[in-house]
Amino acid sequence: MFADRQFDYMDRVRFTVAYLTTPVYWVADIPARTSSWMDDVFVSHRDLIEENAELRQQLLFAQRELQLLAGLASENNRLRELQAAAQGIQGEVETAEIINVSNDPGSRRVLINKGVHDGVREGYAVLDAHGLMGQVVEALPFTSWVMLITDSRHGTPVQVNRNGERAIARGQRGQVPGLVLEFVPDTADIQIGDLLVSSGLGQRFPKDYPVAEVTDVVHDPGQAFAIISARPMAQLDRTRLVMLVEPELPETPERLPDTQSDGEPQPVEEVSAGIGSEENPAVSDNEASPDVVEATAGEASDTAVETVNDAAGEQ
Amino acid sequence: MTPKANGIWVIVLSFLLAFLLAIVPFPDWAMHYRPQWVALVLIYWMIALPYRVGMGTAWVVGAFVDILEGSMLGLNALAYTLIAYLTLNIHHRLRMFSYLQQSALVLVMVGLSLILVHWIKVGTEQSDPVGMLYLLSAVSSAFIWPWLFVVLRQLRRGFDVQ
Repeated sequence: MFADRQFDYMDRVRFTVAYLTTPVYWVADIPARTSSWMDDVFVSHRDLIEENAELRQQLLFAQRELQLLAGLASENNRLRELQAAAQGIQGEVETAEIINVSNDPGSRRVLINKGVHDGVREGYAVLDAHGLMGQVVEALPFTSWVMLITDSRHGTPVQVNRNGERAIARGQRGQVPGLVLEFVPDTADIQIGDLLVSSGLGQRFPKDYPVAEVTDVVHDPGQAFAIISARPMAQLDRTRLVMLVEPELPETPERLPDTQSDGEPQPVEEVSAGIGSEENPAVSDNEASPDVVEATAGEASDTAVETVNDAAGEQ
Repeated sequence: MTPKANGIWVIVLSFLLAFLLAIVPFPDWAMHYRPQWVALVLIYWMIALPYRVGMGTAWVVGAFVDILEGSMLGLNALAYTLIAYLTLNIHHRLRMFSYLQQSALVLVMVGLSLILVHWIKVGTEQSDPVGMLYLLSAVSSAFIWPWLFVVLRQLRRGFDVQ
């Protein structure tokens, strides 16, 4: 155990042994596959026609929105060109299926049926049709463990869709499948019903995907920060089909001129640079920065503190 | 004297089945009630064939469960080795006991291993403390034990596993 926790080489051992465990999961998944197969086979003609009509309608709506989106995208691109900012992300997307759920009630992880042999690597973002679900934390040969955003060791960099207010959404401890926004000052403009989208800071998750909806805001005078809870948009316990998106890593180091001013140590400056400027999160440039703005666990709170300091500074 | 090995595949198969049962997805509310199938099968074989299935087997099986669950490598291995140690110490007495007494001891042993796993997981911050609910798994294990015992004994006699 100590070796596994402390040294990297145990990952290789795990990886190799995982070849043996894959069949067990394959067999354990048979009931679920059978039931979805039955759904496909034993379905009445009328149901199919109805479903078809419904899907057509949905497609129509989606296409309409897509047309609007195309207009917005080109407009956005022009604006970005004006600002000489980096291009928005459109990484490779792959689909996968959830085949198992971690049986440890104290952690929220799921197993998907794509692994290293399908090109999945650690750090891939996982989405469903409604929003962000989590990220790959362990890629095995044919399967991968995904940590959901509601795990208490997972922090997701988010911003309020309405006004761009930034925060870190941490999974709630215990068994409540929700999110809490950490270290948000009492003065922050966040209201119930606000949509939280991924901010793209941390460069793990693609920007602007829906993450959660604010369900509760408590301003306790005795607390240093507001207590804000949110409900994930993704159907974490219902979806079976998920999408995998490669994390965006900036190819060309780019630094905005106005972030040079303060003389803080390197990593901190990277973070506050992304936050302080309104342009784009893809401003961090050295190899260390993805770790610094790491979306998982420990470092997240440090980042959050920086966020708060920065926010306080702006006011 | 140790009898000649026979029907080892039955043991392997029973463990594979236990692995399956251990990872079959459960609804959230039932999560705590999942019996520790692998530990139970392990205890049975150690009572029945202590010269064949011992602490070494327990460790290997535990390591396999670790990979299966994606937990820290060696966590369940340690827990199962603990169970193996306790069981092997008292396997003569366990054979003589009634089902009820056996169940009580299974409750204690599985409970101990669960506590150990929970402590380590929480101590290394891989899991949230979820109260004492996780010990319900030991209760359900003890509950299922007599049935499992009978089934596995039939298997062992039917296939003459030695």
